[in-house]
Amino acid sequence: MEEQQITKKERWELKRQEKLERQENGAKSRLIKRFLLWALVLAGTAGLIFGMVKLGGSEPDQSAILINAVSPSDWTKGNKEAKVVLVEYSDFQCPACAYYYPLLKKLSQDFGDKVSFTYRHFPLRQHINARLAAYAAEAAGKQNKFWEMHDLIFENQTKWENRGDAEKVFKEFANSLDLNADLFKNDLDSKEIKDKVENDLQSGVKSQVNSTPTIFLNGKKIEVPPNYDELQNIINEAVKNNP
Amino acid sequence: MTNSKTSSTRPSKIIPNWVIFALIAVSLIGLADSSYLAAKHYLGSPINCSIFNGCEVVTTSPYSVILGVPVALFGVLYYFSFLLLTILYLDSKNEKTLEFAARFSIVGVAASIWFLFLQIFIIKALCLYCLISTTTSATLFVLGLIVLKRKNVSFFQDNLRDYFRIS
Repeated sequence: MEEQQITKKERWELKRQEKLERQENGAKSRLIKRFLLWALVLAGTAGLIFGMVKLGGSEPDQSAILINAVSPSDWTKGNKEAKVVLVEYSDFQCPACAYYYPLLKKLSQDFGDKVSFTYRHFPLRQHINARLAAYAAEAAGKQNKFWEMHDLIFENQTKWENRGDAEKVFKEFANSLDLNADLFKNDLDSKEIKDKVENDLQSGVKSQVNSTPTIFLNGKKIEVPPNYDELQNIINEAVKNNP
Repeated sequence: MTNSKTSSTRPSKIIPNWVIFALIAVSLIGLADSSYLAAKHYLGSPINCSIFNGCEVVTTSPYSVILGVPVALFGVLYYFSFLLLTILYLDSKNEKTLEFAARFSIVGVAASIWFLFLQIFIIKALCLYCLISTTTSATLFVLGLIVLKRKNVSFFQDNLRDYFRIS
């Protein structure tokens, strides 16, 4: 019994020595080091990619709410008394806004009696002609042709977006809408209109708008699906829930 | 030839640590950037124009996809292989691996020049994350040139067999 214990102890001692020897020649520790290096790199990379995928794929912050309610100074079409209120912050030079324009127009045609549609300006800094386009729409609005100009501007976005003389194009639009040319020209430069566009922009900033188009449905920011059917479903749902 | 063989097996200090560190860091930035773009391509929210990223015309343009694969995914593969090559060097201490990476970096620069050309002259819009990738791939190329200069080898002289020998 005693002997066995000793041999056990001896054997253990022997193993320990062997292990120490192996550690001394370093082969094992080097292997561990290499293994750790690759494990660390692969785990780190996997983590990084996972994080970026989550970040890139995550839905944008949908918690934003509309701060400034629709007022008579806004451009609103459809049923102004409707229980379903849609407010769009948009930029005339933004290609995505031009993409959504026919969808939203169809929406206002299909739901005109149940929904009110408000357009607010949110000209982005990177779009050199966006503000001017907003002024043109407002100037046309002075002669009660805001929505007509709004449509023309979006439908012909490619004709003016990168031009240094976009004003000329807008004047042609005004002409085709039978607007008073002098009045239009004056309004285009008026401080009142510039202030109005700036006010829209500031109200958007207050409501955490950081991209266009941003759409608020009954005061809550919604993600706008890029096809009409899904968009229609969202509005149908809202109409059902707000009789 | 024999000269380069001996130098490749000796863990010399010809290539300074900061170059290795920079290679890893820049590859990681490029990897993060391109994964983000690839994720946005597959899962991202619908198109919009944003205060911070500009418009998504670039990343949703027909040029953002080659043979059905978003170019961002090629970017992920590119930066990942760059990272692996650098780590492989750390592991094997075979400087030929780094030389290969240095020559490989021309692929990223060529792609970046092409994308930059597309953005400026064809799509006429810039995308922030694409520009970050342009910067990282240019940096990798410069780091690669530093490696080759330190090793005193020319860009085109190579011997494929030496590249992946682990000492």
